[in-house]
Amino acid sequence: MKRLSILLIALLLLVACAGPKEGLEEVVGNDQQKAVEDNKSSKQGKTDGAVEDNDNNGEEDKGFEFEANGVVIAMNAEMAPIIEKLGDPMEYFEADSCAFEGKERMYYYSGFEIHTYEKEEIDHVQSVVFNDDSVSTKEGISLYSDFSSVIDAYGEEYTLTEGLYIYERGKSQIKFLVEDDEIVSIEYVAIVE
Amino acid sequence: MNKKKFGLRVAAVCFLFIAIWLLQRLLMPKYVSAIVEGSLIEEYYREETSHDVIFVGDCEVYENISPIALWDNYGITSFIRGGAQQLIWQSYYLLEETFKYEKPEVAVFNILAMQYDEPQSEAYNRLNLDGMRMSKEKIKSINASMMEDEHLAEYLFPLLRYHSRWNELSWEDFKYIFNKDKISHNGYYMRVDIQPVKTIPKPKKLPSYEFGEKAWEYLNRMVELCKENDVQLVLIKAPSIYPHWYDEWDAQIKEYSEEHDLLYINLLQKADEVGIDYNTDTYNGGLHLNISGAEKVAVYLGNILKETYGLKDHRDEPELSSVWQEKSRFYNEMREKQLRELEEYGYLKSLGVEKRED
Repeated sequence: MKRLSILLIALLLLVACAGPKEGLEEVVGNDQQKAVEDNKSSKQGKTDGAVEDNDNNGEEDKGFEFEANGVVIAMNAEMAPIIEKLGDPMEYFEADSCAFEGKERMYYYSGFEIHTYEKEEIDHVQSVVFNDDSVSTKEGISLYSDFSSVIDAYGEEYTLTEGLYIYERGKSQIKFLVEDDEIVSIEYVAIVE
Repeated sequence: MNKKKFGLRVAAVCFLFIAIWLLQRLLMPKYVSAIVEGSLIEEYYREETSHDVIFVGDCEVYENISPIALWDNYGITSFIRGGAQQLIWQSYYLLEETFKYEKPEVAVFNILAMQYDEPQSEAYNRLNLDGMRMSKEKIKSINASMMEDEHLAEYLFPLLRYHSRWNELSWEDFKYIFNKDKISHNGYYMRVDIQPVKTIPKPKKLPSYEFGEKAWEYLNRMVELCKENDVQLVLIKAPSIYPHWYDEWDAQIKEYSEEHDLLYINLLQKADEVGIDYNTDTYNGGLHLNISGAEKVAVYLGNILKETYGLKDHRDEPELSSVWQEKSRFYNEMREKQLRELEEYGYLKSLGVEKRED
């Protein structure tokens, strides 16, 4: 009897003291209404300060950055300051996340689009996709360039899957999709933990 | 050991198990006022009568088709065993499990899930798996769905996964510890609000447009399962405009359905024929339909199912009629409640929906 009581108390203590496992907050969180309300006031995030990787991990972890009209767009950076500098997009699309709070947003600018994700109810850059050859990477690669120019600019440390060449730096990737030696898609992607 | 001592020990063991069970019930998310999609799978077990049609698939089934409209217009009984980002192996095992309870005339699978060949997220796994009753199908589905850092034990004993919710418990966790309010209409998630399509996102170029091996394997298994159970399998693509449904994907499904003598209905291509107006029939810019759109899809689909498979009109059967009248009453009540809420607040406050700026 005593042993059972100890077992029960130990079990209750284990449950009470255990820390949360990462990555399931959206499932276990039950304060969704508050999240929605907080979302309204904080969605736009900071509107001042530099447009930079908010993880601030220093130069060596600095990932790939795209530059448009003098505005540097780093992956995982907060979106609000970027919009402030780039101006309103030509088109905008938002997609509800199935079931969970949070939206995937797409901002269309001339020649490229920015996709965002929500983290702690603030929009962050998820990816930048090139739509035509009017824009290029900082290293001078644009759509329809020869693949050899990618090797010249980024080197040979890539992973290759079905014509998709992926380079990784810091918490970002740049992906080149190659067909018949021509680049048909360029995308910067944030590595989100 | 005397009898009294033995009795005390048995009582203590029982008490321990009951305490653990209660704790588990308390700590598991309830999915009633938020993330209601987590309640969809388990609502099937409340059903007392069988169904002519079972739908499986992702949000494109549980948000886009109204079983009540199928009943009202054709007397067809149906249930949607859909879940958020339901993967094809989850749909397969749900069908396998469903066939243990009943043999419908038709099973309808929404084929958007063919795009995924690997498990995607624990959060979505939970919405599709936690609500399943314990069965060998559930265990097989868990094994097929787990991400690298997930463990079978955490699904079998959810207390191991949800123990850390103890400091997040709300009144809802206590209120719904034993019984939960019904939130769906035979698996259909109702929304009456409107947000028209303004922008259609440009489809991204993909490195490969071929569906993966695992996706094909489970589609093959689904075909076999339906054959073995003498159930007609129908493939559909719901009329959601996003995520993009590529022509290359459509061609593969068309070819497959011809080879296997299956009916494939691409409702996205037939949106005009269905009567979908993307200005009024969607509540989130074309991703999902609202009640108006879901009823149009049900009317269109119901006619095809009735004509092709000769599904019987059950409206003159007193027992079924009475069950479905009650379902219609709940459906119409919820519709009215949502409309009133929309009028009062301008958005669906009770569903935790964000108020739109526009």
